[in-house]
Amino acid sequence: MAQTPAIRLADVSLVYQGAGREVRALDGVSLEIPVGQRVCVLGANGSGKSTLASVIAGLMAPDAGTVELVGERVCTEGQADFEAYRRARRLLGLVFQNPGDQIVTSVVEEDVAFGPENLGLPRETVRRRVDRELARVAMTDYAQADPSRLSGGQQQRVAIAGALAMDPRVLVLDEPSALLDVRGRAAILRVLGRLRRIGCTIVHITHFMDEAVEADRVVVLDHGRVALDGTPTEVFSHADELRTMRLDMPFAADLSCRLRERGVGVPVAMEAQELARSLAPRLGTVRLAPEQAPEGRATGDRAHASVPSGKKVLQLEDVTYSYRPGLHALEHVSLEVGQGERVALVGQTGSGKSTLLRLAAGLERPDAGRVVVAGIDTSTKRGRCAAHHAVGYVMQHPERQLFAQTVWEDVAFGPRNMGLTGAELEACVRDALELTLLDSKAGLSPFELSGGQRRRCAIAGVIAMRPHLLLLDEPTAGLDPHGCAGLHAILDRLHAEGVTIVEVTHSMEDAAQADRVVVLDQSRVLLSGSPAEVFSEANEVALIQHGLGVPAATSFSRVIRRLGVPVEGDALGVGELADALAAACRGGRS
Amino acid sequence: MAFRLELGQYYDTRSPLHRLDARVKIPCALVLMVAMFFIGNAWQLLLGAAASVAVVALSRVPLRRVLGSIRPLFVVLAIILAFNVLFVRDGNALVEVGPVAITTGGAWRGLLYAGRLTCALLVGTTILLTTTPARLTDAFDALLSPLARLGLPAHEIAMVCSLTLRFVPVVADEAGAILDAQAMRGGALDEGGMGHRVRSVVPVVVALLASGLRHADNLSRALDARCYEGGTARTHLYESHVGGLEAVAVALSCAFVVALALLA
Repeated sequence: MAQTPAIRLADVSLVYQGAGREVRALDGVSLEIPVGQRVCVLGANGSGKSTLASVIAGLMAPDAGTVELVGERVCTEGQADFEAYRRARRLLGLVFQNPGDQIVTSVVEEDVAFGPENLGLPRETVRRRVDRELARVAMTDYAQADPSRLSGGQQQRVAIAGALAMDPRVLVLDEPSALLDVRGRAAILRVLGRLRRIGCTIVHITHFMDEAVEADRVVVLDHGRVALDGTPTEVFSHADELRTMRLDMPFAADLSCRLRERGVGVPVAMEAQELARSLAPRLGTVRLAPEQAPEGRATGDRAHASVPSGKKVLQLEDVTYSYRPGLHALEHVSLEVGQGERVALVGQTGSGKSTLLRLAAGLERPDAGRVVVAGIDTSTKRGRCAAHHAVGYVMQHPERQLFAQTVWEDVAFGPRNMGLTGAELEACVRDALELTLLDSKAGLSPFELSGGQRRRCAIAGVIAMRPHLLLLDEPTAGLDPHGCAGLHAILDRLHAEGVTIVEVTHSMEDAAQADRVVVLDQSRVLLSGSPAEVFSEANEVALIQHGLGVPAATSFSRVIRRLGVPVEGDALGVGELADALAAACRGGRS
Repeated sequence: MAFRLELGQYYDTRSPLHRLDARVKIPCALVLMVAMFFIGNAWQLLLGAAASVAVVALSRVPLRRVLGSIRPLFVVLAIILAFNVLFVRDGNALVEVGPVAITTGGAWRGLLYAGRLTCALLVGTTILLTTTPARLTDAFDALLSPLARLGLPAHEIAMVCSLTLRFVPVVADEAGAILDAQAMRGGALDEGGMGHRVRSVVPVVVALLASGLRHADNLSRALDARCYEGGTARTHLYESHVGGLEAVAVALSCAFVVALALLA
């Protein structure tokens, strides 16, 4: 049926008035979204994608251009019609990044009912919709639960149910999974798949490229303009352009582009399976990772999750800790981290990763067992205070703790408290700002920085204290691909300078770059060893069962092995995989 | 976690007190709480104590949890007790140490004032623990609606109060994180002299204000997106049903007031 598009934007511009300067968030955007389409909007931080979400959800009127939402002309040449906006909003749903801020009450089912109640629907209809939507997002069992006690992924599903209960014609999701773990993200994608089948129009804003693969259409924003627009295959064929827009590629597209660069003629693939099938017949023996991973050596033997050599910077000896009686956050955890080591901590939400960092930082006292940091036992208050000075701890969202007038002052806070003054203080702050590429921003207010810069500023404040041991809790959460890469470059440099790093991450790709991976599950150490050991074939099933996984490159090398290609070893990174595959292709042909 | 605020946080046990319609529950609770302040003799105090313990027991909320949520007010109770015991001088002297004398009158007054405040607090906190923010809003909305005719934004006031309660734990968690981060960077609040402490409060307050503004911004977006336009056209998921349970609650509250008056 030929019908009016669900969303139509014509030459829309929106300008934010900042402190003495203007930011053009949207710059002549024209976009038409037909009913029932699932559109993914990609873009780096600051590309205007959140603003676009607000405009499409009817929460912001642009300064110029024409907007038609669900058949209502809400804005004509920059003139907003507020009555039309009110009517349109009743048919639009919005879910955004932070689930906590969208939930208005203390019982799941009341929260889902909030929207339909506002629409003035009869009680029976409200009840029916609440039940229907809770079932759709698989949260029926939690109808009476307190949302603040649910995991981030569950909260986000409640928020989606709350939006869907209003029966919107268009659902707008603004980075709904940016703050979730692997399992939470997968659940959100399943819900979106189900919605597409019932014909709901979806506008999904994300910077996880892999989430864009399943969309009907991908729109890439850059500096407030539509830079690319097409099917996923069309858009992800522009590898170079995406890179200059500071974006990434989904794994299969990335690998196929890398292979094409290396002279292997494959089509740009969206699905790993599809790429593997087209590649497999042309491959000779694939030789990966010279020393083959000794499978099964990484075990859950929790007494010896240790590295044999060198001085120990952090030792946990049979540590048990609980925030509330009877509810263990950590149980009999033993772990040793040697000088200069880089350790990745992975595990689902609630597995005890953050608690482990808090103990290592001396912010908590173990209920049983011993925590020794840089030779300091943290069982006494004096010990914990000494530990604070020896350890740098970057919490989740450290940018929320910025406070000073200027970036320089904020970074200087720690060193100054350590008693540094004059040239010494100058040197500490200068080094930290240089390392985080913020030297040109020293005089700005931290609140004027972009999201990624604020994160780096907060990290600079910690490394300015020159800690021997740096603890980071999901340092890349919510950053775009470029921001993630920048942060990893900083950590690489610190590691090269000999700083010991313990990092909590949800990304198996990031974990594969560490010297050692420690997997926590339900308050215990499940696995510990080198990335090759932990991500070995023997452990794959267990990792998936515990809501984790293996890096995409590792998984791909196993897929082609299962297709009958002889593969020696496992790949951890996409670069080495592409090299090995390209070599095997030439070998196969000759 | 540096500190935990449990003030006014909903705790679900599905007791009769939870089921009681908030539009009846809240006026009854207010009547009980006001009545507590008219307590003047030992029998009345005993009755007040019995009534507040009964309310707590009826809610089936663990006692630890109830006491936990009024813990911040223990200081106030202690001060009331101490002032009366130390400075009121009627009746016979019990103990006399130098200029300080504890008299029977002082001890009784301390006990009475602290006792009736405790009773009122127990009732109040139990009501908050057994009522969700959404239903508190609805109840205040209904109760204040006569004032709306005089131009008071009754519904909006109720909504603001309930959202405040909803965000107390969120902001408390963030304050905890900020305090921890400052401590890690050598700016601990509990170290050093007075001047140092006052200076170390500044970063915490600035960061907390910034986070408060961020939440407010997000929340206004969420309310807009869900078509919240004040209370005019809103319907309700739960049938507001004034029946047997509500009648019992009103009867018991009246009985309490009458009994209190008879004991005077």
